[in-house]
Amino acid sequence: MGSQTKERILFFALGVPVVICLLAFFWIAATLFTGVGTLSPEFLTTSALKGGALEMIVGTIYLFLGAAAIAGPIGVFAAIYLVEYAPSGKFTRIIDQAINNLAGVPSIIIGLFGFTLFSRQLGFGISLMAGWLTLALMILPIVIRGSEEAIRIVPKSFKQAALALGATKWKAISLTTLIAAAPGIVTSVILGIARVAGETAAILFTSCVIITRGLPSSPLEPVMALSFNIYVRIVAQGEPPESVFGIALILFFIVVAFSLIAIILRVYYRRKQPWLH
Amino acid sequence: MSSKRLNKISSFFLNLKSQPMEIVLFLCASFSIIILFLMLFFVAREGALAFSRFGSDLLFGMRWNLESELFGGFPLLYGSIMVTFGALIIAIPIGVCTAIFVSEVLPFHIRDPIKSIIELLASIPSVIYGFIGLLLVVPFVSSFFGLVSGQTALTASLILSLMTIPTIVSVSGEIISAVPKDYKEAALGLGATKWETIKTVVLPISKSGILASIMLGFGRAIGETIAVSMVAGNQAHAPLSYLEAVYTIPAFIATHMGEAPVGSMEYSALFGLGLILLIITFIVNTLADIVVKRGAQHG
Repeated sequence: MGSQTKERILFFALGVPVVICLLAFFWIAATLFTGVGTLSPEFLTTSALKGGALEMIVGTIYLFLGAAAIAGPIGVFAAIYLVEYAPSGKFTRIIDQAINNLAGVPSIIIGLFGFTLFSRQLGFGISLMAGWLTLALMILPIVIRGSEEAIRIVPKSFKQAALALGATKWKAISLTTLIAAAPGIVTSVILGIARVAGETAAILFTSCVIITRGLPSSPLEPVMALSFNIYVRIVAQGEPPESVFGIALILFFIVVAFSLIAIILRVYYRRKQPWLH
Repeated sequence: MSSKRLNKISSFFLNLKSQPMEIVLFLCASFSIIILFLMLFFVAREGALAFSRFGSDLLFGMRWNLESELFGGFPLLYGSIMVTFGALIIAIPIGVCTAIFVSEVLPFHIRDPIKSIIELLASIPSVIYGFIGLLLVVPFVSSFFGLVSGQTALTASLILSLMTIPTIVSVSGEIISAVPKDYKEAALGLGATKWETIKTVVLPISKSGILASIMLGFGRAIGETIAVSMVAGNQAHAPLSYLEAVYTIPAFIATHMGEAPVGSMEYSALFGLGLILLIITFIVNTLADIVVKRGAQHG
């Protein structure tokens, strides 16, 4: 009895930090919701030149879609190699380590690198293109890790059936394993998007400007982005945080929406894939 | 190089030749390595000018002054480490307790929702954390401690801890959940209580994983740029008190890159700082990887 009570108290104490985490999230959400009044349909659809947020929203979407389009295929191919082809040796271990290291590089360094390589060396300047390539480097490790897991849980028998029917290794993988792993792969790309949709440091020097005349007409033009706007207006221009409330709220909704979609997809497909049980 | 080894390498490439798709896959997998090398090369190349001129002063010099051509990064390095340690002191107990609680104590059906909320916490962009910090934490710190400005090292540590907790929870939670069920059941079968099982079986096995999660949290915190530059006050001195403003390396780079003319000494010095930061995170992340792998061998 005594030890049981002690254990209850211990577990209760362990639960306190969890409650702190939950409270933190709801506190952040509740604070942001106090600014809902600053949002209106007109704000979302009016040009930034007239005080709206249209170009920032579209610019943010352009940025993460392009980055995902670049990082997606490379990441999936890398994952296929690592799960299905890679010999278990030193080089594979180095690749593995490199992916972890890439995931851990601070975004400001990714930004510096993107500026020197893409904006200057390759001559893309401050542009959507330079931003895509830079952000793709941040999505890549997320897609590789997520796709690896998705591919790994597909039963080997799927592939073996195709091999037995005379398919080449690549045919067998692309026609069976990859299709079975598709939901997991899509989830990882969405998670990658959630990670970079609000990224600021990486696009600070590579692709954004504070105001543009309309939307960019080519990938070599700079864009506006929600995150960049919040940061520069507060830090460089010294505006009070309240003045960017609407933009911050839109960004929060976009990022949380993508994360939620990824989480729901994962739960849904886990239930739908009978071989997982 | 022995001929055996040469044979092995040549057969590897011959094998690639017979399967064109495998080459593509292999190149995609090697892409991360190439990028890391390019990153080191480019950041080092741009920073070389400042390093050759100032050497270790870039790391240990006390003053950063454009007119007198002084580029001392010590207050920035100090600020980065100060803020990171502050964040970890708050995040480690909360993160580790949360990980244990979620993966060992909570009933199954509410684990996933709680994990999802922590995941959402991780996905909030740093600029939003900075914004929230300015809106809530900065005024709170200034009124609570009676300070003129609430933009202090403490404020930055508080915000950073919120951003580091999810890393610690998800990485160490994964390791804790991976402890084989048989081990736990063996302990329970011998009459250990749940807490005794956690203390004597689960924690010793997942020790190295928890350590690795803390190191990853360190790497994440020291590289955090935007949120810190919004709430830390950005003053390049090396204060002893957490109630004073600090400047961190990433925040300094973010706020100064825009004004530094390309190719100037200041530009190069900023890349020099970047190189220092890159090397720190490389070391920490690689160590974390080694710790995890070693732990997996023992477990």
